[in-house]
Amino acid sequence: MKIKSIGWARRSRVRKNLVRKNWKPSVVLLVLLAGLALAGLKLTELKLTAQKLEAQKKDLPAGGTDVAVIVNPQNPVDSISLADLRKIYSGEKQSWNSSLPVFVLVRAPQAREREVLLNRVLRMTESEYKQFWVRKVYSGEIQREPLALLSNGMQLEAVRAEHGAIALISAQDIHQGVKVVKVDGHLPGTAGYPLR
Amino acid sequence: MYRIVMVMLLGLALFGSAPVAAQNSGPQPANPAAEVQAQQETIRALLKEVNDLKARVAALESRQNESRENAGKQTEAAKPAEQAEPKTTEAAVPAPGNLPGGAEALHAGGIKMQGFAAVTYKASDARPPEGGALLGFRPGSSGNFAVGDIDLFLTSQLTPKTLILTEIAFSEQSSGEFETDVERVLLKYDANDYLKMSFGRFHTATSYFNSVFHHGGWLQTTADRPFVVEFSDHGGMVPSQAIGASITGKIPSGKLGLNYVFEYGTASIIRPQINVPGAPEIEEHNGNEITGGLFARPDWLHGLEVGGSFYHDRISPAADGVSLGVHMEQSVASARAVYVTPKFEFLSEGFLIQHKVQETGQKFNAPAFYGLISKQINARWRPFFRFQYANASAASPLFSDISLRYGPSLGVRYDLNDYIAFKTQYDRTMRRGFSSINGMLSQLAFRF
Repeated sequence: MKIKSIGWARRSRVRKNLVRKNWKPSVVLLVLLAGLALAGLKLTELKLTAQKLEAQKKDLPAGGTDVAVIVNPQNPVDSISLADLRKIYSGEKQSWNSSLPVFVLVRAPQAREREVLLNRVLRMTESEYKQFWVRKVYSGEIQREPLALLSNGMQLEAVRAEHGAIALISAQDIHQGVKVVKVDGHLPGTAGYPLR
Repeated sequence: MYRIVMVMLLGLALFGSAPVAAQNSGPQPANPAAEVQAQQETIRALLKEVNDLKARVAALESRQNESRENAGKQTEAAKPAEQAEPKTTEAAVPAPGNLPGGAEALHAGGIKMQGFAAVTYKASDARPPEGGALLGFRPGSSGNFAVGDIDLFLTSQLTPKTLILTEIAFSEQSSGEFETDVERVLLKYDANDYLKMSFGRFHTATSYFNSVFHHGGWLQTTADRPFVVEFSDHGGMVPSQAIGASITGKIPSGKLGLNYVFEYGTASIIRPQINVPGAPEIEEHNGNEITGGLFARPDWLHGLEVGGSFYHDRISPAADGVSLGVHMEQSVASARAVYVTPKFEFLSEGFLIQHKVQETGQKFNAPAFYGLISKQINARWRPFFRFQYANASAASPLFSDISLRYGPSLGVRYDLNDYIAFKTQYDRTMRRGFSSINGMLSQLAFRF
């Protein structure tokens, strides 16, 4: 019993001495651990926030991410099929009627509208698109390649100015002076709209 | 143990308060009352900021809803311009009518120029050496470099429906000199999809290859043109050029996608004899030609084109200015099936070229065809295989130098970028009465 008692006391003294003599590294270690734990908590919090934002983005009204097809208000067309849109943007359909030529506008590379055009309408890569139009114009089959514009503002202005113009534009950027055309019977923001 | 717990709590307190301490880095008030007042002011400021943000979110939501409603109305968007705030990621929307020059600014005049050129290395074991499509290669040489054709393509849009198109080729001759040739010069007027007119010098619609690739070597998958549709002045069999009028357009046919082409003009074909370099060229002295064609581009398979054409003219061939003493009716019937997508290419064209000697009524038929298949791999590589065939009577007044020749070509095209392509191919050509030819072509083709 005595021996046990002495052993315990001795061990306890040793521990006390250790704590007294080497308390600084222990504190630093513990503080670091605590900091890491807090950083982990913050990171988790940030991830949760990002997930919430992502969820909110998905919950946004569909019209906010849809790409609308716009024409000049004087253009008689109110609705167009996706197949006809493809024909227009691949140069196979070059006139709206007997007197109104199609004037095709596109956004410059890396714009969302151009990505939708390439992925959903033409199903081409940027490189394939460029080569396609070089060949098309060079063969003499079409007079000019689509006019590439740097902003949606320029697209709107061009559609307002040119009676035969057609452009793809983010639905939330639409302003007065243009007409939104149905695609496959659907308007931007409605279920089944193909350009989003 | 107690101390350890205390230290941990101290650490947590330190780290937990660190951001707050960082935010409130200003001097701490010594007076507790002043500290409470400062905190109250901070809370008021934060509440004000929260209210401002709420108001801003409400304004943005209202604007978004309005835009969606406008898009949904299908009619002109009714949003006043003054409410339109410029997007942070877009250029500001200009007010209506602010486009300098209005619609005419979109049809900017001037001349647009593009160019195509290539550097080619050709090796061949042809014995005796061949002429024809030399494009700068020295007959008899086992292998040498050449530039071939340098092609300048110029267009100028005059009105929304009118265009001037010009193609000028500088062709390297076997002597190393360059010869300038106006390949195409056209005044084009596109009334609508059903009527498109061209006047001037054009490449005839006798073949798909002739109508699409012209002198732009970069556009072709292979390093050279199939023999039968090689340009006439390079030894090809089909009349490739004419001066006159061309009309083309769609035929209302629903999903069948029928198109027509009609040409009337004057061809002026001068053709070298390909198996005898240096031999006098045959001048065909063509009369007026007429070409009619019909082809379908069905909606249900984008990229498919099926059709045919018929060419007819009268010729009075001569060599070195001396008439061959015959007058002939020349007819070229062709059929094609083409399927081209960005990643896949299948070309096949067949021809029946007939020369009917008017004096004797004798007919010489020369069938020919080529087929090409290629598939894009990894966006840059495009291996291809081609087979071609031409068979002309040895007694033909025009094509005796061609006789029978056929064979495969196997190669690969590698696109370094959107402007430069490297092509290399092996050709084997079997010939009647002569030994077969093994040939190798390596080409760096580019556009600018």
